[in-house]
Amino acid sequence: MAEYLLEMKGIVKQFDGVRALDGIDLKIKAGECVGLCGENGAGKSTLMKILSGVYPHGTWDGEIQWDGKPLQAASVRDTEAAGIVIIHQELMLVPQLSVAENIFMGHELTLRGGRMNYPAMYRRAEELMRELHMPDINVALPVMQYGGGHQQLVEIAKALNKQARLLILDEPSSSLTSSEIAVLLEIIKSLKAKGVACVYISHKLDEVAAVCDTISVIRDGKHIATTPMQALTVDQIITQMVGREITTMYPARDHEIGEVVFEARHVTCLDVDNPKRKRVDDVSFSVRRGEILGIAGLVGAGRTELVSAVFGAYPGRHEVEVLMQGRVVDTSSPLKSIRLGLCMVPEDRKQHGIVPDLNVGHNITLTVLQNFSQHSRIDGDRELNTIEQQIGLLRLKTASPFLPITGLSGGNQQKAVLAKMLLAQPKVLILDEPTRGVDVGAKAEIYKLIAELARQGVAIIMVSSELAEVLGVSDRVLVIGEGKLRGDFVNQNLTQEIILAAAINQSEQYLAAAAAL
Amino acid sequence: MNTITIKQLFSRYKIMALLIAIAIIWAFFSWKTEGGFISPRNLSNLLRQMSITGILACGMVLVIIAGEIDLSVGSLLGLLGGIAAVMNVTYQWPLPLNLVLVLAFGLLLGLFNGYLTAYMRIPSFIVGLGGMLAFRGVLLGVTGGMTIAPVSPDLVYLGQGYLPPQFGVALVVVLFVLALGLTWQRRRSRAQHSLPVPALWRDGLKVLLIGVVLLAFVRTLNSYDGIPVPVLLLLALLGLFSYMTTQTVFGRRIYSVGSNMEATRLSGVNVQAVKLWVFGIMGVMCALAGLVNTARLAAGSPSAGNMGELDAIAACFIGGTSMRGGSGTIYGALIGALVMASLDNGMSMLDVGSYWQMIVKGGILMLAVWVDVSTRSGR
Repeated sequence: MAEYLLEMKGIVKQFDGVRALDGIDLKIKAGECVGLCGENGAGKSTLMKILSGVYPHGTWDGEIQWDGKPLQAASVRDTEAAGIVIIHQELMLVPQLSVAENIFMGHELTLRGGRMNYPAMYRRAEELMRELHMPDINVALPVMQYGGGHQQLVEIAKALNKQARLLILDEPSSSLTSSEIAVLLEIIKSLKAKGVACVYISHKLDEVAAVCDTISVIRDGKHIATTPMQALTVDQIITQMVGREITTMYPARDHEIGEVVFEARHVTCLDVDNPKRKRVDDVSFSVRRGEILGIAGLVGAGRTELVSAVFGAYPGRHEVEVLMQGRVVDTSSPLKSIRLGLCMVPEDRKQHGIVPDLNVGHNITLTVLQNFSQHSRIDGDRELNTIEQQIGLLRLKTASPFLPITGLSGGNQQKAVLAKMLLAQPKVLILDEPTRGVDVGAKAEIYKLIAELARQGVAIIMVSSELAEVLGVSDRVLVIGEGKLRGDFVNQNLTQEIILAAAINQSEQYLAAAAAL
Repeated sequence: MNTITIKQLFSRYKIMALLIAIAIIWAFFSWKTEGGFISPRNLSNLLRQMSITGILACGMVLVIIAGEIDLSVGSLLGLLGGIAAVMNVTYQWPLPLNLVLVLAFGLLLGLFNGYLTAYMRIPSFIVGLGGMLAFRGVLLGVTGGMTIAPVSPDLVYLGQGYLPPQFGVALVVVLFVLALGLTWQRRRSRAQHSLPVPALWRDGLKVLLIGVVLLAFVRTLNSYDGIPVPVLLLLALLGLFSYMTTQTVFGRRIYSVGSNMEATRLSGVNVQAVKLWVFGIMGVMCALAGLVNTARLAAGSPSAGNMGELDAIAACFIGGTSMRGGSGTIYGALIGALVMASLDNGMSMLDVGSYWQMIVKGGILMLAVWVDVSTRSGR
């Protein structure tokens, strides 16, 4: 048996002559968890695509030793046969199929004549769920009946069922709540104890610190350092990742808070598919000029539904009364809201933020295009001036405004979406998870921008699942739990524990998580 | 490595690839017909044949860019052409009134399709399928299943008339000056924003090439009878729609609605109105195509425009319009229409059986889209 389960040596991958990876080494022992850190675009995903066989052997240089033998995978099938399984950031489940069917997808147990052997699959699926401390899950029910956290566990069960010896988790916690993350980390620890190796990729460094034994940092496609976690602090990892020290992640809160400019009363949202269920239940809140209001809560608590309903973008039935500057206003559609100066940067950048076929510049001017029009013709010069101004203002990194937006990193795409909404000159700006999938450097810039907007008198409503971010940026924090307002705290001596306690106050998820631990 | 560069060239100069494809098709037919195919008379014919599919494709490409499809256009063309014939032959209403009414009907029926799709949320495929049957049914009712003939000479002029040669020459001059001016303006604007400006000789060559092509085009047509009226109509639509898609707010919104409707809606765009008007424009194009078709046949026929929607949709896809919506060009769709018309015309000249014509056209459509898809995924 080789000392290392996996050794990747001198991995080089080029795209059209550009070196995405430039000689990366990575070694993993059985039962070890390696945290792979790096800013967006550093090459983490590319490296994992090579490891998992998405890029077949021969399309890259360097060598991979698996269990002491060279691994020359032609496809994902080969690496899965060897025991390398990747769990992607976006869940790869078919929502309409049952938990068991998803676990066995592509490896179904069959009876004669190709019929599905349901009893055997259910048995095995239940076994796996018990192993993952999730005995309550009914494996015969469709996956869509379960929340994001449970779905993530179904993905892990799927991987375990393939006899995984190396599990690659790419941003596994980006859609999980704090309690679900705790369960996930426990499971990884127990897998480690069974000798399963892990590669853990995450922007949330406290998770990485909690679960990983070794940290490998890559930057701009180069291997920077591999260090045992005991010898590192989170700050040191950040320094290695960005190559410079981020002295203050969160800007000083020195903006002045004025009068109430925005008020939402009795917001109630009904579930789209099940109108008997209330996603948001009679929530009222207000924001002042120049105030940053953080909205915290567990995923699925109804935060996104709340702000979408206020903005006029909630698809299901809902009731809402909005007052701006003391007057009742009609915000029943995004168009009306934006005209009133109420803007929103949505949570899901890919689905609701960017327009993939338009270039960077044209994405930015989407909200205000009519302003450049003379007799319905777009004044290209004026439009380009505005675009260049916005790109400079937000320090958006793009070689040209005419490049496709899909080629930008997550952080720069987010800046483009922000730029688009800022052009509409918001008085009240809703930011739903403004830093999701954004690298550390761009995060700090976005926080700075939020503070600057507040200084200019914009009222900001920021929904976030990262408690550190909520505490670092907000003046006041609302906590939503199960669709109800659970707390309204001024951000003074406020801690993550207080927020969390309010959010999970007697919630079922909390009890389930506690039972699992 | 070599295949990658070829793929890149292909996707970057897609339009060149299409022009080369047309050149090959034309060369093949000219060889087989011993030059008959590229005689001025036949080319003039070919362009007139293409004009109906081309007019429909102008509207269809907008519909497809907006992420929808309209299967009812063939029947709608037939219906509106039939109405024009009835008003002309049975009631003998004056031509201007006839034109206005038919165009208004087209707009209304198009808006109706758009309303069902955008506001009532019936998938456009179903709306089109329903319209395809219903419009054809109305046409059969209106005409009583009979051919309505003969239509008056002034209406026939729309489909069969030619413009005097002097007009063609004037057109070349105007278009050449326009190309020169636009290139000049573009260079100046790029320089102002310190964007790379292409070398002067390249732009010069481009403009010169445009001039040569224009001159050849008009000389060829003038050496027969002049520019046919429907071809002029198609050229005008090409200019108008290209302007609309690239220079106007409405045009930009069509692309953004088709590319990501939710993101566009959340940016404060009335996406339903955009779709409504795209279908409205499609209806007007059906009216124009219907008028030209009736004029060309000098009669209103109950089977007019049969399968016209398929030719128009095929033209769009051959011309590189994306099936998911969000990208596509007017000139691409028209080149696609030219490919389809060239195949029809060439094979008819060679006396190829009609069943073979259908098989070849179907094959070419699949080939074109396959090339498109395989070069796209290369990125």
